[in-house]
Amino acid sequence: MTPVVQMRGVTKVYRSGSGSRTVEVRALAGVDLSIYPGEYVALMGPSGSGKSTLMHIIGLLDTPTEGEYWLGGEPVRGLSEAQLARIRNQRVGFVFQAFFLLPRLTALHNVALPLVYRGLPLAERLKRAKAALEAVGLGDRLDHLPSELSGGQKQRVAIARALVQEPDLLLADEPTGNLDSRSSDEILGLFDALHRQGKTIVMVTHEPDVGARAQRIVRLRDGRVADGGMV
Amino acid sequence: MNPLENFRMAFESLWGNKLRSFLALLGIVIGVFAVTAMISLGQMATAGITQDLEAIAGRSIFVQPNFNEGQDFSTAPIREEDILALQTLPASVIPQLFTSAQYEARPGTRRSIQLQGTPGDLPRLDPTNKLARGRYFSQAEARGGLAVAVLSDRAARDLFPGREAVGQVARLFYPNGARLELTVVGVLQPPGGLFGGLGAAATVYVPNELIWNTSPTARKGQYDFVVLSLKKGADARQVTRQVQRIFEGRYGKGKYQIASTESFQDTLRSITLILQALLGAIAGLSLLVGGIGIMNIMLVSVTERTREIGLRKALGATSSQIRQQFLIEAVVLTLVGGLLGVVLAAGLLLLITATVPFFKVFILNPATVLLALAVSALVGLFFGVWPAARAAALDPIEALRYE
Repeated sequence: MTPVVQMRGVTKVYRSGSGSRTVEVRALAGVDLSIYPGEYVALMGPSGSGKSTLMHIIGLLDTPTEGEYWLGGEPVRGLSEAQLARIRNQRVGFVFQAFFLLPRLTALHNVALPLVYRGLPLAERLKRAKAALEAVGLGDRLDHLPSELSGGQKQRVAIARALVQEPDLLLADEPTGNLDSRSSDEILGLFDALHRQGKTIVMVTHEPDVGARAQRIVRLRDGRVADGGMV
Repeated sequence: MNPLENFRMAFESLWGNKLRSFLALLGIVIGVFAVTAMISLGQMATAGITQDLEAIAGRSIFVQPNFNEGQDFSTAPIREEDILALQTLPASVIPQLFTSAQYEARPGTRRSIQLQGTPGDLPRLDPTNKLARGRYFSQAEARGGLAVAVLSDRAARDLFPGREAVGQVARLFYPNGARLELTVVGVLQPPGGLFGGLGAAATVYVPNELIWNTSPTARKGQYDFVVLSLKKGADARQVTRQVQRIFEGRYGKGKYQIASTESFQDTLRSITLILQALLGAIAGLSLLVGGIGIMNIMLVSVTERTREIGLRKALGATSSQIRQQFLIEAVVLTLVGGLLGVVLAAGLLLLITATVPFFKVFILNPATVLLALAVSALVGLFFGVWPAARAAALDPIEALRYE
């Protein structure tokens, strides 16, 4: 089976300053990682361990300085900015800690947003968005603005927005970080359900009880995979 | 993503920020309003001037001797045979004489008044002369040199204050003291319009023949001035050239001054055109200021929507799609501003047409409207480029982290 995510020796070096005062920060120092279809993986590690950087590279928001990365079996190296954007749109569904819903758009239009960049006609976009909202249990909140929704509901809208893309990979960055424990349970329950439906999920978290719900935990330390890379 | 989608998004985001969008486009509204109003007012003024000029002078050609310095007043008069030659042209030929006379305003006080010789039946020959009361002496009466007169409105009021002039006898004196007693048979209407003042002189119209017979300076068969009132359909420029040829052929170049209302109109048109261009350029400055306002607001908007831009990029928007989005927003903003400006200008022009008598016709050329809208779209494009480029260049990771 082709892994959804396949990494070999991925490093990421950030340079700041200039000339002799250049400071190099090695955020990732040779990451080997495989994630297979249908897996539910928690990416854990202390702050500064490189888990955000790794998530950005997995989600094609950033590219490795060295090493190879295949997303869905295809190498990422050498792709243009526009090609990366297209692949993000088709293969990666993001769920953010702060939801990032556009405040002026209704739940339905927020969910339909990624499909704008596929050139789908409006009616088709809204049809798919409605189905995605129904799938996360918000079929009765289509025309609500984000300000009219609770935190848990907002995050469910955000998850619907990721699902509407039918991505190879759901990439969630601390999705319960802004939620109370009841809403957290609700959202984690939703991820469990999505996992049972066969979705591939990568969740970045620093909370052990959140990580514990995943099938596998990948621990990062000092820019390397300390445990769970499973290559 | 199709452009229509971009326009919808632009409207949504501008609508979501109504107050700010309105304030941002105010500069453009004022700029386009000013440019459109200036151009159209210029055109309306030209039309008004042209109409007024036609009302007082018709479509006419004027011939008079060129009085060069040191030259005797009567070295180059217009002669009877010149008039005969002019009568072959498609125009009514009205040879005239000018001289001045005096009248007794109060016992002991003499005032000057203009005495103008005409061939008679003037209102028919030149429709810009309209009778108010009485009649105009006929061509036969004129040829007979009868002592009859038609007064201009001003002359009637000066000579017979508070009385009906028709039927009275006007008593005039030549500068040498010779007396002239004229039976007043008619009074002309005062000329109207912008140039009304020019034609409002106190003038006593009498037969040419009478002036020849009585004036100490006039010589029989010589005229001071000829008006050719063009017949319908006659080409003013062509007839002007024919008149020129007649006089140059007989007397050589530069002896006579030949002008037409057409040439006055051309001069006036070029003056208003220059004024229009100047005022338009000044109004254009406000468009520039408006454009800078748009740029400012778009920059604020880009900063404020940093996270939106980051999100859109994460969801698969390319940099060029983001650039397009913000460019189109700027263009939509300025286009809406331009439309509002044109509507306001149209309102003002309608108001002016309705209230100011000089502006008789409402003119708003489609070309002017198109120009105004095109310029406002260009302003949006030009001043939107930089903010849009900043939006497109945002790093999605940084943008999503932005608080």
